[in-house]
Amino acid sequence: MARTGITRNIVVTGVGGQGVLTLAQIMAQAALNESNNVRVGEIHGMAQRGGHVVSFVRIGDGALGPIVDIGTGDVIIGFEPLETLREISLVRPGGHVVMNTHVQYPVAVSMGHDRYPSEAEIDRLMSPFGVEVTKVDAMTLAQKAGSPRAVNMVMFGAVLGLGLLPFGVGTARAVVRSAFGGRYEAINSAALDLGVAAVSGGS
Amino acid sequence: MVKAKELLQDAVGETLLLLANEAIARAVLEAGVRLVALYPGTPSSEIGNSLTQMAPHMENFYFEFSANEKVAIEVAGAAAVAGVRSMMVCKGPGLNVAADPFLSLAYVGVRGGMVIVVADDPSMWSSQNENDSRYYALMANMPMLEPADPAEAKAMVLAAYDLSEELELPVLLRTTTRVNHTRAPVPLGPIARPPEHVVFKKEPLRFVPIPAVARKQHPALLRQIERAREVSEATPLNFVTGEGEFGVVTSGVSYNYVREAIEALSISAAVLKLGMTHPVPEDMIARFLEAHPTVLVVEELEPVLETHLRRLAQLHSIDVRIVGKEQGVLPRTFEFNTRIVMRAMTGVLGVESPIDWDAAEERARSVRDLPPRPPLLCPGCPHRATYYAIRAATRGKAIYPSDIGCYTLSIAPPLETADILFDMGSSITTACGIARVTGQDVVATIGDSTFFASGLPGLANAVYNRHPICLVVLDNRTTAMTGHQPHPGTGLTGMQESVPPLRIEDVCRGLGVEYVRTVDPFQPLSEVVAEVRQLVQWVRDNRAPGVLVSRAPCALLTAAERRSTGVFPEPYYVDVDLCNGCRRCLNRFSCPAMYLNQETGQAAIDPALCNYCGSCVHVCPQGAIKQGGV
Repeated sequence: MARTGITRNIVVTGVGGQGVLTLAQIMAQAALNESNNVRVGEIHGMAQRGGHVVSFVRIGDGALGPIVDIGTGDVIIGFEPLETLREISLVRPGGHVVMNTHVQYPVAVSMGHDRYPSEAEIDRLMSPFGVEVTKVDAMTLAQKAGSPRAVNMVMFGAVLGLGLLPFGVGTARAVVRSAFGGRYEAINSAALDLGVAAVSGGS
Repeated sequence: MVKAKELLQDAVGETLLLLANEAIARAVLEAGVRLVALYPGTPSSEIGNSLTQMAPHMENFYFEFSANEKVAIEVAGAAAVAGVRSMMVCKGPGLNVAADPFLSLAYVGVRGGMVIVVADDPSMWSSQNENDSRYYALMANMPMLEPADPAEAKAMVLAAYDLSEELELPVLLRTTTRVNHTRAPVPLGPIARPPEHVVFKKEPLRFVPIPAVARKQHPALLRQIERAREVSEATPLNFVTGEGEFGVVTSGVSYNYVREAIEALSISAAVLKLGMTHPVPEDMIARFLEAHPTVLVVEELEPVLETHLRRLAQLHSIDVRIVGKEQGVLPRTFEFNTRIVMRAMTGVLGVESPIDWDAAEERARSVRDLPPRPPLLCPGCPHRATYYAIRAATRGKAIYPSDIGCYTLSIAPPLETADILFDMGSSITTACGIARVTGQDVVATIGDSTFFASGLPGLANAVYNRHPICLVVLDNRTTAMTGHQPHPGTGLTGMQESVPPLRIEDVCRGLGVEYVRTVDPFQPLSEVVAEVRQLVQWVRDNRAPGVLVSRAPCALLTAAERRSTGVFPEPYYVDVDLCNGCRRCLNRFSCPAMYLNQETGQAAIDPALCNYCGSCVHVCPQGAIKQGGV
């Protein structure tokens, strides 16, 4: 793809209710505000009820369809370790994974019928994909920002802080401010900044 | 979701980031549509969600969530017959519900423009089948357009109204999930204002298709569709892009994958992109087949275009290699992506792919057997408590016909209370068939919205024919699965007006059901179980249908209300001194907010997920689940 170099393929994966669609939408709006072409692929309805949710954001002139296919993702933003692993095949060799370390058990595990993979197992299964993995304790940071529901904005901040998106923190902040009302605006903005700080040197 | 205020703005040239569904709602405003009627269905749901927000602020515009799709198409069809622009929207299976009037509408035609939006669901993300609605255009002889992305979806709605008025026929706008649920930049156009009232001009010999009328209309319709073909030959919606020996014919979302694949493979190809797919531009296609010795047809689901191409090649004696689903080069199931199209092209042309798909697929296979995370009933969902009670009362031995809504998720363990399902409303009618021939206890469940959409004829049938069925109506006060639309039982209209709601109990009694009772699923579970037992016993004794309405609002609505007020109840927790690790709560109730503490072997509640329904308190035989400060 001649334009592949400038088309950024981003995968957001998590559990229904974690704010996967919200982050995808905000990220795309920020990209559009910087005059980028953008496509977001979403799945609604049956797919949302506490189940696995994945959303795609494609930025750049080469982005026509809404899907990020296996081996073509530049960045995976994982809101939960198991759900990050579930979509790991979407990343291209040399791509980047940014993963929230907070675990949310699927019901089969809660019931004791299935086993949740250990952190070492998850690392081992990810290693053949040749990707750089950045881990973030987004749940703790979201709680610090004021709400466990702000995990998505912490993750957004982390990805921005790592320089993985074609727009800056300032553009992102402006979109976050206009997207949330009332007290949630302050919480989400704080979460974004904590995410940025979590990946910038010193820690 | 984009706010209604943004969709309503009079700002020509402004570009918004919109779902195709939101772009279609905006097109309603730009086309001067007077009336839209629909029943929500994913992947089309956001069209209605946007319009109901916009409707109170639009001039001379009426919007309704109709009771079902058949009702919606009749309401909208009649408005177009009266002379205004109208729209009906549904998902693929919804057009099946509306099929009868759909075919009649093609015969009688319309005076004002009418667009019928049907959203198919390749890969069945949220549907019970993968039906390809394009066949309806062929069967009814109705013109059809298919957009590839959100911007085209809006533009095509506008083109469809012009076409509809030119031909005096409704026009089908067929989308798929990956169009409906793609978000992309969409430029806004000028807003048009519909008329307040029109006068219905009587013309019964056109609009009442008694046989004598219909016999004239069928040949007339075929003449209209021939005119439509001439439009199809000339419309800019059908065009060729690129050049080369290799030809590709495509439509809808697949066009994007085709363009990406051609660029990725660095090949030369001529692409015939069809935006108007019924009637197809036959002369244009014949010329394309003559000019390209190999033509690949890229379309999701059924080989509709491919069959047209093979027919035209035969008709015009064209020597061309047409490649598609017939040879198994492209699949007939599930949605496409760029990889699938690239692999088809590399196979047909014998060229190399710059991406090693085999290696990517092998890497993908190395991660398997992960614990699944299927969609579930939410924490605090009233359906979980009701199903727990149904299962407990019948010891899991009854037959459980299910219906369409979130509650079909009760198919999963440990509730396992979904045994048969065909379509909207089939819980009641399949219960009749099973009860009649098995003599077993049958407990059917249906949601409130589905009850009003398709349950009433089945219930009338059950009463009149005295079918011994238990029906539990799961009334969560909304159409939950598709995004919380109102229905006739809620007291809110599509125009956001408050009206008296229809009471399910009154409707059942009115239809002649002798046993009608109501229960709150969040009262102590033993009481809910007792209600179900009493229902089952009554039906056994009286050999007639009995109804139990289980009523509590959707947990998502309750949670949203708590977030907006900021008032939360005291949390629930497991008293570690009392929990003996029996796992009854986890194994039988299985709320997603509860988990097994792997270290202690005791149950625990995740306060971030708990929705405060308190049902689990009654599941624990030790009384270990408590509410209050820990």
